[in-house]
Amino acid sequence: MRKGLLRELAGGKPLWVRAVDGVDLDIRRGEVFCLVGESGCGKTSTGKAILKLVEATDGDILLEMPEGEARAYEDVRQRPDDPEARKTLDGLRRKYSVTWKESLPWTVEQALKSAGAFLAAVFLAIVAPSLLLAAVVEPFGDPWSTIGLCVSIGLILGLIGSLPPTRLSRRTRVILTLLALGSIIVAPISALSLHRALVGDVSRFDVGAALATPWTQELAAMLVGFAFGAIAAGGSSSLLLDWRSRSEGMAGIHMRSIRRRLQLIFQDPYESLNPKQSVYEIVSEPLAVNRISTNPGETSALVREALTDVGLRPPEEFLFRFPHELSGGQRQRVSIAAALVLQPDFIVADEPVSMLDVSIRTEILQVMMELRTRRGITYLFITHDLSLAWVLADRIAVMYLGKIVEMGTTEQVIGHPMHPYTKALISVVPSPDPRHKVERIILKGERPDPSDIPPGCRFHPRCPFAFERCGWTAEEVADQLRSLKAGGMLATASGVDLSDAGNVRLSMGGGGPDALVRELNALVSERRETLLPLKGIAAVHATNGFVELSLHASSEPPLLEIEPGNSVACHLVSPPATVSESLTA
Amino acid sequence: MPTLLEVRDLTIEFRTKAGIVHAVEGASFNVERGEAMGLAGESGCGKTTTALALMRLLPYNGRIVRGSISFEGRDLVPVPEDSMRAIRWKEMSIVFQGAMNSLNPVQRVGRQIAEPIMLHEEAEPEASFKRAGDLLELVGISRNRLNDYPHEFSGGMRQRVMIAMALACNPKLVIADEPVTALDVMIQAQILDLLERLRRELHLAMILISHDLSVLADTCEQVTIMYAGKTMESGKTMDLFTDPKHPYTQGLVGAFPDIRGPRNMPEAIPGDVPSLISPPSGCVFHPRCKFAFDRCTKAEPALTELSVGRRAACFLYPQVTEVPPRPIAITEV
Repeated sequence: MRKGLLRELAGGKPLWVRAVDGVDLDIRRGEVFCLVGESGCGKTSTGKAILKLVEATDGDILLEMPEGEARAYEDVRQRPDDPEARKTLDGLRRKYSVTWKESLPWTVEQALKSAGAFLAAVFLAIVAPSLLLAAVVEPFGDPWSTIGLCVSIGLILGLIGSLPPTRLSRRTRVILTLLALGSIIVAPISALSLHRALVGDVSRFDVGAALATPWTQELAAMLVGFAFGAIAAGGSSSLLLDWRSRSEGMAGIHMRSIRRRLQLIFQDPYESLNPKQSVYEIVSEPLAVNRISTNPGETSALVREALTDVGLRPPEEFLFRFPHELSGGQRQRVSIAAALVLQPDFIVADEPVSMLDVSIRTEILQVMMELRTRRGITYLFITHDLSLAWVLADRIAVMYLGKIVEMGTTEQVIGHPMHPYTKALISVVPSPDPRHKVERIILKGERPDPSDIPPGCRFHPRCPFAFERCGWTAEEVADQLRSLKAGGMLATASGVDLSDAGNVRLSMGGGGPDALVRELNALVSERRETLLPLKGIAAVHATNGFVELSLHASSEPPLLEIEPGNSVACHLVSPPATVSESLTA
Repeated sequence: MPTLLEVRDLTIEFRTKAGIVHAVEGASFNVERGEAMGLAGESGCGKTTTALALMRLLPYNGRIVRGSISFEGRDLVPVPEDSMRAIRWKEMSIVFQGAMNSLNPVQRVGRQIAEPIMLHEEAEPEASFKRAGDLLELVGISRNRLNDYPHEFSGGMRQRVMIAMALACNPKLVIADEPVTALDVMIQAQILDLLERLRRELHLAMILISHDLSVLADTCEQVTIMYAGKTMESGKTMDLFTDPKHPYTQGLVGAFPDIRGPRNMPEAIPGDVPSLISPPSGCVFHPRCKFAFDRCTKAEPALTELSVGRRAACFLYPQVTEVPPRPIAITEV
């Protein structure tokens, strides 16, 4: 599973919050992938976007892609301008993407096809009722007309019946009833027409007489007509659907059947279970919704199996309990059972144990891990608890403000973190063993508002190691200088403000431009290690009456693979060649 | 000078429709001046009830059946409500659980911090607000925000405001009930850092209540482990966490994954917390204990000193005695 995701969610204000921004991650079959980060970093949004519970603005969610094709996808994604690469990319998306919708150019062929389809629809719409009308007003005299009439009715009903979803549904039953009703209406009419043909009496309509005539021939013709019509319509519409699914990809048509295989476990078992439903109803509902089992015996067997799997044994004892009669751990087991009953391949577990007591927590985790080995379930585990990620995950991605800042195997990310944010996050996780005390790196402040993301590296305002290239803005530098001025420094400047061009501008005090430039330079070289925004100053120069500061160019650090399987997005750890490249870009 | 806080055999009951809930039974611990004591256990084990009882803030259906709470040598249990007001906030204060919801949403935070100062110290409003500003700065918030409403603060900031409120009248003891639960790890670290700094600077004693052992391991000198209203074990943090004696403590310590330890799956404690209305006979933990034997189901182990400063209530240790039969409490009408 892989995705390049750029997602925007509507915020409370009339602006867009870019909750998740360009997240690329691939989850391999059978692994536990942990997404960690502070609240509001976009981990839950990512999980929901994978299940299409919120629509991503842009990006692909690719399902069950073989490794070779995944590599090809990555490769062609790098060359968006190459028409050949685009073609391959579209082909791959069509095959594997859950989110992709094709936008085909309007060609002559397409126009002709659409026109043809339109004409056919009009023809059907006019011919079918007129046939019906003709049958009632002036009944046909020969079996061929009856066949024609029945074929057209059958075609229409068959077409309606085979619209997606194509599985047996309530609609199928309605259509069968309609067909039966149709035969009842059509039968006497046809019989009457036959009677006329045989007897030649057209004066009055005698139902008894009509029914009394030998009309087996008519009936046979009618049945053949209905059957042929319905089968033909069903067949052609399934061909049509096939063509559509090939051209439009998996989006839309198969989402229901896909969602059956991708399930979600929610955080709070006290809120995710309906208090008015019994355990049986909760666990069997997905079966009914997805029309997996309509047979009560089969449903009950599947529910029991799911409950046994999650450790609610014996299941009979729990089937008819309501959520308030269960403890927190049992509730969470029920919500896992409701996800499991559809036999999913992939489960997004969004903080599944954070609301539970410690002693129960472990049992739930053990159940989940046991299911992984027994049923080969792949997990995307979303958590804020790094120590849980440490014991559970095969691979970890650390998110900050909608972006992945570090990703790799658990040993690499937790054992040898490279990104300053990961380092800080790991250092503050408390350990139950007082012998394992480490120097805590406590970051200042709280995470910035996701509707106002800092330029450059989005972590730079809180980063203890931020340097020139990290994206200091004129405002940050000006604020720092103002607070220095408030502290009695910068005596030779009378004020700090921003110029129209957005540069930091210091107005001159008593000492003249040279004195101010000298003082600034001295201040910067002396204090830059403690007051990091000063590092953003590239040069100081005096212009008519003011001293202007020019700032270092900055860029957002891309997520680069530093070691095989371990990627970090930080200028500090980027290979030097890539840094210069990204700077010029 | 007597010990700051000495709790002996504290027993609390709640009367409910379903029956009498034995919320806390025989809790005993000491808190020295400037010391941090941790109170740990699963939800429903009586941690918060103990804290409320220390402040004499139990709800109407709860009462202290037995035991003493001596604060600087003075027993607080018989103290009438009026005199209790002089002790609350001035001598000891509490940071309630769920900071997000403990502040009044329609009152500016400055007023909320200044209120106890005006009430308890009978200070002028102006002086009180000045002190409120000082307190905000003490907990790391600019005093310009005195006139803001609680919704303008983030969760971590509101927790800081709650701490500032608790410090309003210079108490000697602060009880913090789950001060970092539901906060992000980084904010959690900031708050714990703040509490530790305040404790050092103001020479405060602190009772830290948490279900998260790793939080206590980092910050407290002493830890008391509670289960189903009973004290299971207490001792110095280092000893208790590195060499837990009671099977429950062992289970609890093993249930926390350690990010700085080996990558082992934590171990579960099978079973559920028992009902406090009809607790199991003998040792309350025996239905979930893997070492339980005959004696555990029949008699209740007393909290016995195993070594200096280390107490546990478990029959696995031969020196542990049985709890003597208690006089039947006279139920008030």
